[in-house]
Amino acid sequence: MERGILFKRSSGIHKASLNYLFAGLLILVTVSQASAHRVILFSYVEGHRVFTESYFSDGKRCQASKIEVFDPVGNKLLEGVTNKAGEFSFDIPGKTDLRLVLTATMGHRAEYTLPAEELPDAFEEKFEKPGPQPVKQGMPLEGIMREKEITIAEVTQVDLEEIRSVNTDATDKKLRPLTKLIAKSQEHRVSATEVIGGIGYILGIMGIVMYLRSRKR
Amino acid sequence: MHISEGVLSAPVLITGAALTAVAVGVGLKKMDYDRIPQVAILSSAFFVASLIHVPVGPSSIHLILNGIMGVLLGFAAFPAILVALTLQAFLFQFGGITTLGVNTFNIAFPAVVCFYAFGHAVKHKNSVIALCSAFGCGFVAVLLSSIMVATSLVFVEESFVQVARLVVIAHLPVMIIEGVLTVFCVGFLGKVRPEILGG
Repeated sequence: MERGILFKRSSGIHKASLNYLFAGLLILVTVSQASAHRVILFSYVEGHRVFTESYFSDGKRCQASKIEVFDPVGNKLLEGVTNKAGEFSFDIPGKTDLRLVLTATMGHRAEYTLPAEELPDAFEEKFEKPGPQPVKQGMPLEGIMREKEITIAEVTQVDLEEIRSVNTDATDKKLRPLTKLIAKSQEHRVSATEVIGGIGYILGIMGIVMYLRSRKR
Repeated sequence: MHISEGVLSAPVLITGAALTAVAVGVGLKKMDYDRIPQVAILSSAFFVASLIHVPVGPSSIHLILNGIMGVLLGFAAFPAILVALTLQAFLFQFGGITTLGVNTFNIAFPAVVCFYAFGHAVKHKNSVIALCSAFGCGFVAVLLSSIMVATSLVFVEESFVQVARLVVIAHLPVMIIEGVLTVFCVGFLGKVRPEILGG
């Protein structure tokens, strides 16, 4: 009789303590909001370079991790290693979709596709635009007049180009914190809802298994 | 411990999935009706523990709890860990769907090993021996998992020794923390419900 009571009491203690343990774990999660074990690769274009940042989902930077860049067909265009701040940058290799693959330590991997539209148009022009026309020798008066016009036109053209690129650079620089902010907000943070939902799933599966087993019995 | 999608080659993935399938079958067979709630609670604990990251060391690591799961569940640790990892993959995007088999095996197999290695010792009458083996259980389970992760990566990375050293060193803080945690759990359960220890 006494033993029975004792056993009941101790199993009560056991249940209560498990509940406390559970509550403690939940609180820890909601407080720290830190989820480890996922890597995030984020990339943006600035001028003629592509910048990448890699970090674990708890915010820790992926140092000395390999980044490979592929074109849509799967040819490797280049590869590099992140620095201490988890950053790596490279010159745009061509105006195609770029598939960036990050391989961090211990089997972590992330991908990011940079669509061709995000690469600057200026990049295209830089290569496709022919250089200044060579001045032709021995031109008649009319020709000389036209040549001057061309020079003036060229100068204006160059100025415009310069202003445009300076402008783009300035805008890029100003937008940088914003881009980073947006990237940060897109990060998948583990929410309390998902944690509680997951535990709910486990209890549901337990219920199903117990139901099936009880029918067998 | 969660190996991501697209890292491993197909033979490794298939081997992991096959081994896990067999072990989960054994686990389900061995799981008594009365122990199903216990399996579910430990599965939930494992599911949540991966969110508690340990801010020590060069890499990003978290609690695993496979030592304590092994010593309490034995083979039933396999279904418990498979369910938790599946939910983590879907809800948190930890690891991946194709790597579920390998990841489950890497974590649950050491748990079963610890069950057979330490299951009896943690029930020892001498509390020093019991608590020391509890620490060993928590420590060895994570150590074995680290080595198994390195083994899975051997076909991808260049050198096993280098990867193994990296993974083991990164998880050293977790090994110690889980050793201590297992000591507390075993000490507590040994007092209030000794019958659930060691299977």
